[in-house]
Amino acid sequence: MTALLDINDLRVTFNTRYGQVTALDGVSLHVNAGETLGVVGESGCGKSITALATMGLIPSPPGRIAGGSIRLDGEELVGARPSRLRAMRGADIAMIFQEPMTSLNPVFTVGDQIAEAIMLHQKVSHDQALKDAVALLDRVGIPSPKARVHDYPHQLSGGMRQRVMIAMAVSCRPKVLIADEPTTALDVTVQAQIFDLLNEIQRDFGAAIVLITHDMGAISEMADRVAVMYAGRIIEEARADDVLDFPQHPYARGLIDCIPALGREDHALKEIPGVVPPLHLLGAGCAFAERCEHANERCRREKPLLVNHDHHPAACHAVEEGRI
Amino acid sequence: MTDTPDYKAESPAREAWRMFRRNVPALVGMVILAFIVLATLYGTFFYSGDPYDVVWAPHEAPGVTPEYPLGTDYLGRDIMAGMLTGGGPTLAVGAAAAAITMVIGIALGSLAGFYGGWIDNLLMRITEFFQVLPALLFAMVLVTLFEPSLWTIAIAIGVVSWPQTARLTRAEFLRIKELEYVTAARAIGARNMRIMWKVILPNAMPPLIVSATLTIGIAILFEAGLSFLGLGDPNVMSWGLMIGANRDYILDAWWPVTFPGLAIFFTVFAVSLIGDGLNDAFNPKLRER
Repeated sequence: MTALLDINDLRVTFNTRYGQVTALDGVSLHVNAGETLGVVGESGCGKSITALATMGLIPSPPGRIAGGSIRLDGEELVGARPSRLRAMRGADIAMIFQEPMTSLNPVFTVGDQIAEAIMLHQKVSHDQALKDAVALLDRVGIPSPKARVHDYPHQLSGGMRQRVMIAMAVSCRPKVLIADEPTTALDVTVQAQIFDLLNEIQRDFGAAIVLITHDMGAISEMADRVAVMYAGRIIEEARADDVLDFPQHPYARGLIDCIPALGREDHALKEIPGVVPPLHLLGAGCAFAERCEHANERCRREKPLLVNHDHHPAACHAVEEGRI
Repeated sequence: MTDTPDYKAESPAREAWRMFRRNVPALVGMVILAFIVLATLYGTFFYSGDPYDVVWAPHEAPGVTPEYPLGTDYLGRDIMAGMLTGGGPTLAVGAAAAAITMVIGIALGSLAGFYGGWIDNLLMRITEFFQVLPALLFAMVLVTLFEPSLWTIAIAIGVVSWPQTARLTRAEFLRIKELEYVTAARAIGARNMRIMWKVILPNAMPPLIVSATLTIGIAILFEAGLSFLGLGDPNVMSWGLMIGANRDYILDAWWPVTFPGLAIFFTVFAVSLIGDGLNDAFNPKLRER
């Protein structure tokens, strides 16, 4: 059986003042109906670019999909006609953004904006679309939705706005829902509510969810499978439990070590030294080598491939050689 | 904010109006402008008279003859009648010229800002071409080339004023198109035209409305200037025409130029106050003052 969303060897390049840089270097992902795939990594590792590429929203120029394929339900999206992509956006594949404060249009009521999303893909009257919007607001847990539908975004709290964004995203019952750090801007209690809501929505609609995050807690709560990204490549992929319990790649180990545990004695927060290298400075070797305590000559010379090891696939020479 | 179900939301436009009402100078401007507009629209019901008719001795001072409260001009024509009938064309030309300015400026500026690339380059070079032309001279050329009428004057003023609006629109589009709600609109499958007109333009309107208001003031001055130079429509009485016709006799009689001059001054003044008030009302950073 082929996956609902199947991304294969996706390459995205950007023209910058440093020349052409490769933002995604052969990313392969798949997600099935009703499944949640977590994509984790630091800022700048290519998570959001993956999301935008899947939506066909890479800003072009300067960006461009240089190769690979993205199949949704067997239909190729790379190189599809813009009108076809537009028809699928919102209807078959929808996205929830990171900043609920800025991703709603400030001059229209939330009801109008949800109705707009409905009317773009379904032949219904504005009145009917507005009624549907009320039902959707109710579904995403907004109290007194009949009144809230006439509210402007600035009158709602961050959590409420994110619920509105979710209502808008699921308005046409998409097959795939991409959530790009949907809770980063929200406080912790609200985060948990939003995750519960996404889980419910998934149960109701059977959508596949791609959850992009840097929060390992969110992964443990939401994801069935996890792909760890670093510098535009996937460096480890497995079931969520496996990655959380037995991380292979030193970077994945580092990410999981960074989760502060309650009641633990050592007070200093763990961190991974250094930052993601700028894409234009990537050399021939492993992009993580500079920050890795296990790196050797081979790591600096040769890019590791994502291959299966004892547990699950990871792209690391040290794991492959059994050094860690 | 309350959570009662019957709570009615306040739209950004209503909120701006609430801020505007608290602005005393802007309200003064509204009152002055309302008075001028009402006087030019309905004044002739209460004070009839043909501004072209020679009704009395020339250069009768104001307040001397009760029938002609503002006196007469160098031909003995009633200035009060000129004031009341001359306001309409002046205001109409100002409004029409501002409308033309906005239509051309928003259309070209939004296309340039939204699409960027060669479209932006082409449109901005055209804009610069019009921007470096001396505005009044170019308007004079246009008016003399074509039959002077209210329409040609309005079009001439519009043609020389749109570059500023185009650049402002472009700047707003460049800023807004990078915002997340534009990407979000794409993500629900909106097409470019819808994103331009229904997502970006409404958010770009506040500075454009302010600019339109100020353009009305500038257009009124332009019309007065052209009429003063004798390039206006001689068959339509306007404040500028009155000043132009009487300017040779300004040392003999101050009133035939002073009253229309004051009318123009107060109109532009009122429009500017309203423009500033709108600017404050729309600009959230200034609201705290």
